[in-house]
Amino acid sequence: MTHFEEELKHLKQEVNIMFALVRTQIAKAKDALVRLDKDLAREIIQTEKRVNAQELNIDRDCENYFALYNPVAVDLRYLLAILKINNNLERTGDIAEGIAKFLIQTQQSFDQELLTSSQLLKMFDECVSMMYEIEDAFENEDTIKARSIFKQDEVLDRINLEANKNIEAYIRLHPDNIEQALYVLSTIRKLERVGDQAKNIAEEVIFYLEAKVLKHTKKV
Amino acid sequence: MKGRTKKRVAELIAFNLFRIMSASIVLVLFSILAFIVVRGIGVISWDFISKMPEEGMTKGGIWPAIVGTMCLVAGSMLFAFPVGVLSGIYINEFVKDNWFKRFVKLMTNNLAGVPSIVFGLFGMSLFVNTLGFGDSIIAGSLTLGLLALPVIIRTTEESLKSIDKYHREGSYALGATKIQTIRRVVLPLAMPNIITGFILSIGRVSGETAPILFTVAAYFLPKLPSSMFDQVMALPYHLYVLSTSGTDMEASRNMAYGTALVLILIVLILNLLANFTRRFLNKKIKQ
Amino acid sequence: MIEAKNLNLYYGSFQALKDISMKVPEKSVTALIGPSGCGKSTFLRTFNRMNDLIAGVKIEGDIIVDDMNIYAKGVDVDSLRKRIGMVFQKPNPFAKSIYENVAYGMRVNGVNDEKLIKQTVEESLKQAALWDEVKDNLKKSAYALSGGQQQRLCIARALAVEPTILLMDEPASALDPISTSKIEELIHELKKNYTILIVTHNMQQAARVSDHTAFFYMGSLIEFNETKTIFTNPENQQTQNYVTGRFG
Repeated sequence: MTHFEEELKHLKQEVNIMFALVRTQIAKAKDALVRLDKDLAREIIQTEKRVNAQELNIDRDCENYFALYNPVAVDLRYLLAILKINNNLERTGDIAEGIAKFLIQTQQSFDQELLTSSQLLKMFDECVSMMYEIEDAFENEDTIKARSIFKQDEVLDRINLEANKNIEAYIRLHPDNIEQALYVLSTIRKLERVGDQAKNIAEEVIFYLEAKVLKHTKKV
Repeated sequence: MKGRTKKRVAELIAFNLFRIMSASIVLVLFSILAFIVVRGIGVISWDFISKMPEEGMTKGGIWPAIVGTMCLVAGSMLFAFPVGVLSGIYINEFVKDNWFKRFVKLMTNNLAGVPSIVFGLFGMSLFVNTLGFGDSIIAGSLTLGLLALPVIIRTTEESLKSIDKYHREGSYALGATKIQTIRRVVLPLAMPNIITGFILSIGRVSGETAPILFTVAAYFLPKLPSSMFDQVMALPYHLYVLSTSGTDMEASRNMAYGTALVLILIVLILNLLANFTRRFLNKKIKQ
Repeated sequence: MIEAKNLNLYYGSFQALKDISMKVPEKSVTALIGPSGCGKSTFLRTFNRMNDLIAGVKIEGDIIVDDMNIYAKGVDVDSLRKRIGMVFQKPNPFAKSIYENVAYGMRVNGVNDEKLIKQTVEESLKQAALWDEVKDNLKKSAYALSGGQQQRLCIARALAVEPTILLMDEPASALDPISTSKIEELIHELKKNYTILIVTHNMQQAARVSDHTAFFYMGSLIEFNETKTIFTNPENQQTQNYVTGRFG
């Protein structure tokens, strides 16, 4: 293994750490929301600092590798992909933090009926599962798995589309709980964006492995 | 387009000119060789090579002259090669680049241009008379050696100079001293080229007449030398005698050509031998 | 510990190095870069006093190697050079067998124990990542090897005298890309045990192999920094111009 390959291997480990951090943040956000656990929410906000630090860490590594090793071909695509994946993960982390920040100000536990009818929890689970899948696809350089993300994202899109109708129905039944209902709606919107980030990551994985640009095209 | 054609014509003329020039040189060389071979081959026989001259050098062989020339070549090289190589090493490796070095180099070059008869006279006055060697192999060898010295010194110097400085530096960088570097690294690399100088001087020495005229060569001496203080016959001088002052020049005419042929052959064989050594050394370096 | 202190070097009246002070970090690779004639090679050669061989060189200031000023009076240059190995621009194996090339340094330093020599030759060739390629042909002439192999042989030869410091003067500039990357990989291995100073015309090479980089310009040390810093965020504008190819 050449020295540069070793460096790339090291970088991959750093990205894996970033994946795990962000995935855990989303999973914790769900737990904090279900139980209205404010300590957990605060923990998420604390951990977000680590996520940001790790983002900078990976950015700096990439910068050094670009400057020192003049990567070409697959190495070049790999580093470019990592730069973007890194960015996508950081945004995902921001979303988790956004959810946590709201929870801290919330006084009342969420109505179970609202959570079920809006399919919010299902959406959370779906997001975490997507994060697992895409992490796996990146780790094992598996483009088939990466492509399966696009399918999974459709589930999120559907929940998101149905959300307006579901929330409307809930509000009609519980006009006294509009604030919670609106919050759930905005969380659904946020999680939809988590799906988009995962999809972007999948595109980058495919880009670096197959040199195919999937952006702005119909997915296979 | 036109300029191009003109250029090509000029090129064609130049090439053919070179071709004709080199062909004419080869032609002259081969004519001389052919002339000598045709005239001389008739008298060449085992007897001619292995027998003493008889009947005022009109009959018999040239064995003592062959032996004499061999002795002189060997003697002169035994003297000139070590002295020349050591001087060359000294001048190139140890003398600083100053007026003294330039002076020595200039003198060496001048020495190479001195007519050989002057060497002969010098050899006679120094070795034969002053040192009292008399007409002898040692006096002749030393005189011939002096004649060969400049060539050997110059080629040694040049071949040492042509060794890439990286080789020396590589040796110094490992903590080797100057002497170690020269002996173990530089000389082995320079040896093939030094041998070339050696070959050139053998050719020159074996063919010279003037330096041996007053120092060693015998007009007629039908016996082999027993020590290095003996006189000997030598091929070039024998050839000179046969063709200018023999007892019966008409009768010995063909023998003269035969002698010339033998001399040429000897020079050729020595050259081949030395060349083989050089190739061997070169190969040893490269394999 | 290697350190240059206020080093000035003159070729006759021309000042080739101007007041250079620099501490070379141990067991790591330090690259010297800069345009042709900037003094980087001259600087490298002050560490094993190779400049002594050139007539008219005058040196002021100190070079400290292992707490000793190597330009002090009475320093044994031959034994100094034994402690500081050097690899040159052009592979320069001696006209000897592969084995004898590596053994040379020991022999000229008076080692006679043939068993020890044999063992050291093998170890050195292994360290230079050449052993597997030549172990069956140790008696063959070094000139039978390819350029890249010859250069690794020269590295093995330098290692055989057990130096602590390796000086490399553009060690890959005469080699093809494959041989070059082999040499670069080797440098990465060697820095675990040796302090390496490398002069290179090839900035990318400096970037790839070194931990620290010194940028020289017109005989002065302009910037000495971590290689990462030099190539991503140099402190000096001249360094920036050089590494970005805007001059030099």
